Amino acid sequence: MAVAIAERLQATGTVNALELRGVTKQFGALVALADVTLSVRPGERRAILGSNGAGKTTLLNCITGDFPPSSGTIRFFGEDVTGFPAHERIRRGLRRTYQISLLFGGLSVLDNVHLACLGVSRGRFSLLRPRRDDALLESARALVHAVHLDAVAEKKVAELAHGQQRQLEVALALAGAPRFLLFDEPAAGLSPAERADLVAILQGLPAHMGYVIIEHDMDVALRVVESVTLMHDGRIFKEGTPAEIEADPEVQELYLGHGRGG
Amino acid sequence: MARAGASRPGSDGAERGTGGRLARWIERHPLGALLIAVLLVAFLWLVLADWPDELERLLGRKRVFVSALFNGITLGGLYFLVATGFTLIFGLMRNVNLAHGSLYLFGGYLGYSTVQATGLWLPAFLVAFLLVAVVGLLLQVLVFRHMEGQELRQTLVTIGLSIVFADLMLWAWGGDFYQIPTPEWLAGPVDMPIVLDVRANGEPVHLRYPRVRLVIFAASVVIGLLLWLVINRTRIGTLVRAGVDDREMLAVSGVRVQLLFALVFAFGAGLAGMAGVVGGTFQSVSPGEDTRFLLASLVVVIVGGLGSIPGAALGALLIGLAEQFGSVYLPTYAIVFSFLIMVLVLAFRPQGLLGLR
Amino acid sequence: MASLPASATAGRAAADAAEAARGPHPAAWLLAAVLLVLPAIASDFFLVQVFGWALILGTIALSLQFLAGYGGMVSLVQMTVAGVAGYMVAILGSSGLAQISLGWPFWLAVPVAILLAVLFGTLSGALAVRTEGIYTIMITLAIAAAFFYFTRQNETVFGGFLGFNGVRAPVFWGVDWRSPVPFYYLCLGWAVIAWGLVVWVVRAPFGLALQGIRDNARRMAALGFDVTAHRIAAYAFAAFLAAPAGILLTWLNGQIAPGTVGIGPVIDVLVIAVVGGLGRPIGPFIGALLYVLLRIFALDALVALGLSGQRFQLLIGLGFLVTVLFSPDGILGLWERWRRRWTGARGEGR
Repeated sequence: MAVAIAERLQATGTVNALELRGVTKQFGALVALADVTLSVRPGERRAILGSNGAGKTTLLNCITGDFPPSSGTIRFFGEDVTGFPAHERIRRGLRRTYQISLLFGGLSVLDNVHLACLGVSRGRFSLLRPRRDDALLESARALVHAVHLDAVAEKKVAELAHGQQRQLEVALALAGAPRFLLFDEPAAGLSPAERADLVAILQGLPAHMGYVIIEHDMDVALRVVESVTLMHDGRIFKEGTPAEIEADPEVQELYLGHGRGG
Repeated sequence: MARAGASRPGSDGAERGTGGRLARWIERHPLGALLIAVLLVAFLWLVLADWPDELERLLGRKRVFVSALFNGITLGGLYFLVATGFTLIFGLMRNVNLAHGSLYLFGGYLGYSTVQATGLWLPAFLVAFLLVAVVGLLLQVLVFRHMEGQELRQTLVTIGLSIVFADLMLWAWGGDFYQIPTPEWLAGPVDMPIVLDVRANGEPVHLRYPRVRLVIFAASVVIGLLLWLVINRTRIGTLVRAGVDDREMLAVSGVRVQLLFALVFAFGAGLAGMAGVVGGTFQSVSPGEDTRFLLASLVVVIVGGLGSIPGAALGALLIGLAEQFGSVYLPTYAIVFSFLIMVLVLAFRPQGLLGLR
Repeated sequence: MASLPASATAGRAAADAAEAARGPHPAAWLLAAVLLVLPAIASDFFLVQVFGWALILGTIALSLQFLAGYGGMVSLVQMTVAGVAGYMVAILGSSGLAQISLGWPFWLAVPVAILLAVLFGTLSGALAVRTEGIYTIMITLAIAAAFFYFTRQNETVFGGFLGFNGVRAPVFWGVDWRSPVPFYYLCLGWAVIAWGLVVWVVRAPFGLALQGIRDNARRMAALGFDVTAHRIAAYAFAAFLAAPAGILLTWLNGQIAPGTVGIGPVIDVLVIAVVGGLGRPIGPFIGALLYVLLRIFALDALVALGLSGQRFQLLIGLGFLVTVLFSPDGILGLWERWRRRWTGARGEGR
């Protein structure tokens, strides 16, 4: 599957994975996003930084389809998805994680990941119980292994520690061979050891899998991306490489004291 | 609809009053607005002009049409009274009070008993309002207050309460149909300026309509306007609107939320009780009316939009007219008419015509 | 969010899975045995009027439990769906109203009736699922009421106020399915099949997805599930469970009238499901048995208490209130808590 995607990417040439043009979002008279234009190439790793209220999460919600933008277009691998409902975008290879884990508390870890794998497969509506060696179940188990949660695979999610739940969040996003990922503050509430683990997982993702990561913790964010977009008051403030952003005096002024841990 | 848009003092300063929204809707749907305007004008002509013979052959007599119109409007007034309490309670406390019909019927029975005991009609309203309001207060304080946030459980409790209340009222008042008699000073018809027909000698025949229905409708409108004023111009109204908007914010703002809830529930219940006296005068007080008016409230607020008082007014008017015109022109399917409107609204605008979501 | 059954059932679903892995409870075997040999011990009256009726009501309530407990959607339209099937079998098949009934043979009338009822249930679901959860009760109640008023008004197809009489189970394969013992097995058969279907589907991808939607619809959408389509499909499945029960109900009473689908019976099905327990498929059947026993013997009980026999609804209402106020997960919930207290060290987690 990964090979097929990589081939498809090469065939499409210079199509951007994500392309936003003039995206604006208003809630009544509150302008959350103002004329946001950005593009992300396939396989690119980008961080979107900004203080609280800069519009980062609203941007993410628009991209995933939680609500439509007030104006502007969103293209995903060349396809105009502006009017698509969330599940249509997901089926085209987009995935996201949530700042506050949205997991299925009453189901087991394996069930959660299994659901994630099911979501993008044909077996969604199946009334038949999967056999023990079912392919989807296998990939679910593999995913649980990839995020180091084998030990608690059968445990109910409500009983997991916070850090484990965040790992499960990531696992859910990796289900079903995504083409592009959106991470919403994945490091929130993690211990230093868990943060290191997260960085390892992100750095270990396949090369074709691009992602956008929203983070307060610049330490984590700048280590796992190749480009940075800075937002302020719903607009794009600056773009550049991690080194450029870190060195920029305007950025220093804006984020004095916002460096570590948000 | 000449009301000035009542702006809500919110952090976003958005003009969310009815007037402002209407202006924006007209902007965005020019054709739809034009169509509705044309229909309204045609309707007005039907009401005010003398019908040519061909029209009478097609639609039946003008008297029937105009009677249905007025009956529909006055019935709408009654539905508005009942539905407003329901929508207020839901809007502020997120409580789908399926015992609302029972409160209505209780008010009706109380009104009947008061009139039986005293022979006076107006005090019946007061008695019904006060006693049913007390019941509402007790319910909120003793029961619902302890179930904050458990919407489903609250609704199930109201279902249980409605079953118990219905049987208790059946026990107390029996299964007969009672009617609250119209007082002397309201009895009799009134000559309306609507022309029904022109006699051979050129004399116009005017519509004669029961005075009591007109008075009660006028009272509903007055109550509606007073309510609008309270909600939009007083401090307590601001609190209610803020609470409908964002309950958590209200809670952390230091306001005595529980007191507000209790008052609103009591008021909503009292309103339903008063409506019971109205319904008892218009129609009857009997077992089964509680279900009927609960369902009417449901349909009205689904159509108008839960939590919206203008929505309740619009929905009540539409449903009242639909029911009356239906029962005159399509008698077998009159009830289905209103449910059809509900289904259409659900299919195309699930949040209700004036709903906020 | 349905805070009443969801938290109770979410834990139960996982506990269920663990238990299922261990095999059926010994009590289940006992129950199955008793139900199978019941005709040998019970009188005709008990067989049909008590157990037959309880099994039918239990199946209809099961369809509600499926939607509410596993889907988070409290649907008051289930009794109506059953009623649609019952009416259709009277209209399409043979009845006392020969001027309306089409007289189709049962093997045609029954499947078509079920199909029409499933269609009705699916359409109702389509109307009810596009809004927030709490509105589902309101909308389904309104639909149920609309159907009730419609059947009452309509003379030409639905027989108006009096409905249809003379609707009986057919005779085929040499068996008169109207007679008590075969009819009982018919009711038992469908109840068992319906129960089995629910237990099965709940662990299949479809059922799992439904529970995911119950717990977190937003996340399910973000995982690629079409939440609305899934919910509507759940309504269709529930309608398929309720429809045959509606036909059996009509055959049981030999008639169907607007009163069968009135607001009272519609709410009674909710009461049965909630009092029994929305956590597991066996709950509604417990509730149904209780309801039927109460219905049949309440008169004597009430008189013994010095009240008029007419105060039955009061008993129902009070019982329902007490359950919702003090044991929201119903009798099943009480049983679970009692069992846990006595077996202490089970530690299955809530």
